[in-house]
Amino acid sequence: MGKALEVIGLSKRFLGLQALKEVSLHLEEGEILAVIGPNGAGKSTLLNLLSGLIKPDQGRILLLGRDISHLPPETRTHLGLGRAFQIVQPFPELSVRENLLVGALFGKPGLKRKEAEAWVAEVLDLTGLAPRAEALAGELTLLEDKRLELARALATRPKVLLLDEVMAGLRPKEAEEAVALVRRIRDSGVSVLFIEHLMPVVRALADRVVVLDHGEVIAEGTYEKVAQEERVREAYLGRRA
Amino acid sequence: MELLLQTLLNGLLMSGVYALVATGLALSLGVVGIVNFAHGEFLMMGAFLSYLFFALQGLDPLFSLGLAFLAAFLVGGLVYQGLIRPVLPAPELNQMLLTFGLSILLQNLALLLFGADTRVVAPSYQAATLTLGPFFLGAVPLGAFMLSLGLLFLLQVFLTRSRLGLAMRAVAQNRLAPGLLGIEADQVYLLAFGLAAALAGVAGVMLSVILYASPTVGFIFTLKSFAIVALAGLGNLKGVVPAALVLALAEALVSTYLPGGGGLVEAVFFLVLFLALVGRAWRSP
Amino acid sequence: MRELSHLPFLSFFLLLFALLPFLPLGIWGAFLLDVGFFIQLFTAMALSWDLVARTGQLSLAHGAFFGLGAYGAGLLAPHVGTLPALVFGAFVAGAGALLLGSVTLRLHGLYFAIASLAFSEVLRTLALKLAFTGGPIGLPVPPPFGGVWPLAAYYLSFGVLLLATALSHWAEWSPFRLAQAATRQSEAVARVLGVRVVRVKLWSLLLGSLVAGLSGGVYGMKTLFLSPYDAFSLGRAVEALVIPIFGGLYSTLGPLVGGVVLVGLEQALRLWIKEGYLVVYGAILILVILFLPRGLVGLLGRRRG
Repeated sequence: MGKALEVIGLSKRFLGLQALKEVSLHLEEGEILAVIGPNGAGKSTLLNLLSGLIKPDQGRILLLGRDISHLPPETRTHLGLGRAFQIVQPFPELSVRENLLVGALFGKPGLKRKEAEAWVAEVLDLTGLAPRAEALAGELTLLEDKRLELARALATRPKVLLLDEVMAGLRPKEAEEAVALVRRIRDSGVSVLFIEHLMPVVRALADRVVVLDHGEVIAEGTYEKVAQEERVREAYLGRRA
Repeated sequence: MELLLQTLLNGLLMSGVYALVATGLALSLGVVGIVNFAHGEFLMMGAFLSYLFFALQGLDPLFSLGLAFLAAFLVGGLVYQGLIRPVLPAPELNQMLLTFGLSILLQNLALLLFGADTRVVAPSYQAATLTLGPFFLGAVPLGAFMLSLGLLFLLQVFLTRSRLGLAMRAVAQNRLAPGLLGIEADQVYLLAFGLAAALAGVAGVMLSVILYASPTVGFIFTLKSFAIVALAGLGNLKGVVPAALVLALAEALVSTYLPGGGGLVEAVFFLVLFLALVGRAWRSP
Repeated sequence: MRELSHLPFLSFFLLLFALLPFLPLGIWGAFLLDVGFFIQLFTAMALSWDLVARTGQLSLAHGAFFGLGAYGAGLLAPHVGTLPALVFGAFVAGAGALLLGSVTLRLHGLYFAIASLAFSEVLRTLALKLAFTGGPIGLPVPPPFGGVWPLAAYYLSFGVLLLATALSHWAEWSPFRLAQAATRQSEAVARVLGVRVVRVKLWSLLLGSLVAGLSGGVYGMKTLFLSPYDAFSLGRAVEALVIPIFGGLYSTLGPLVGGVVLVGLEQALRLWIKEGYLVVYGAILILVILFLPRGLVGLLGRRRG
């Protein structure tokens, strides 16, 4: 199996604050990788660098073997990188279906309108949003918003999907459904990198876990393995006490 | 050499009024969070107020200063209550268009009432000058400069020493803080907007003597103030005085040294405004 | 099937304008044709402003695009004839728009608005100061096609309106609408979904400025005289933005309805007041923002971005 995503020595400073320091990690094809860490560990910075919303000071990002470090966000999406945001940002004046159509039509250039519409119908079914397809995105409940965020990223037909705390705020039952949904997405051939605070979700979903603290990778391995490590326990517990 | 120094002196004297008007704009932007396209119209009203009192009652513009301050404060408060407050929760677009609409309305109302002519208030001391070695200082520009600095100093004292002033600065930095001081954000907004208008109103009286009163004089100063505020850093009160000085000096130099510079003076402001906005956007990550 | 519901309205308006010169208007004929001319031209301006606004770029530079087109066409018309001069004027406006657009790509909302206003005022100052524009004295412009056909200016303005309506309608009912709406509502999210935001913004500004430039060109050929105060006036941008806001933003029907009502009203008011008729625009802008934020068309039903 090849590497879906590879990050080599990625660094980023904000006004003197070292947000990420020489972070290297990779995502195997067909894998579900969790990136965890306490608040301020640099998880969101990592995702913003990966999707191209901010530019790295140093380091490289390879998507399916191709260097995308200097490509703009839209080109990364065209090459197969999808992202769902932590703070849901639907286009409120568009309907749910139109929100997905944006991803489907522009996520992969050259797609015909009919094909895009068919694909959107599929994603609507998959994510359970079909009954709300014609509602304005500004009128959705939080749960529906979360689903829309995921569905819209999926609509771009990603090969690698970045998920930023898409389970936050969900009830246990809803989170369980979401976990099953992410598994189905992976089974359809998408590699998934996700950021999550809810440890049960991480345990249930992740094949492998990478732990960030103060912008550095401090542990990597299965959930059980990293949960044992002293540094990880310190990072999570030590500073809270 | 003397011409250069005289030019710089003229620019320096003008910078006071510019700083006064732009400080008002920065107050409404920094505290209330609204880009007020109608800011200069308070100035225009002050200028016409001064003109009317002078032409009809023979009232010295010195008296109009206080009247204009109060009148503009009142009108500013009413505008805030009636027009600005309802659109504070609305999108930026609506806020901008509302103040833009107000500006157009007031300018053209003035045009209907007074016509397009420029009107100058000419008290006996209008042309008085002081000589300082080889240099000439207009008495009125000098007075306006001193008065502007005095008002800005008082504002500074108010902002740093009084509870209301502290609340105002707190709002400018963090929208949540004023509640902690037991002062409603809404009252702070009202006061800030009224003060902003009052500063412009006083400046209008000064300009009715130094420059003129006309329906469009306010909008010109709105744009100049935008340039100053953009150069100072949007909403940054401290940067306003130096930015006003830079622009006033640049304006004086252009009008003295460029052939036909009179008409290009305005372009200086617009160019600075344009470059400041564009430069700021490209520098941020 | 929403698409069909607008077409009859649009066709009706356009047909009415096309046939206006042949209707039995009696002694009011000449006056109404003049009113029709200005309605067509300023409605086209409004449509072109709306087209740009759909990406979140609030242009206050439409007066500058208008002026560039007017002067470009006016200066060239005596040498190359009417139509090539109009095309040239539109290209000059387009070049100005690309210049403005490419340096302001990172400015949003009101900061774009203020920058575009500054841009517009710089150009107006230049038009006043440069030698070949005739400066404050102004520039005489020949009538279209040597003045042999009295209805030429009217039908040129009809052509501009037709073009503006077609562009706006295409942008409203094609995937371009989604790209514009996504760009307007959140540029970052739009980009992550694959929308080429830079292209969408520049194309919208370019298309809008071409229409505005054509409007300016035709305007000069009607008034036969241009001055920087008139052609580069901020008032042009004000009209261009008040009309869509009054009629209904981000649509083709809104600016059309708004244009017919407001420009018609304006032309009637000009019979009574020479200066200061913009009072009405200011008042309407305030009232609409406060009480009718979705415009006239918004009264008809729910609209989508």
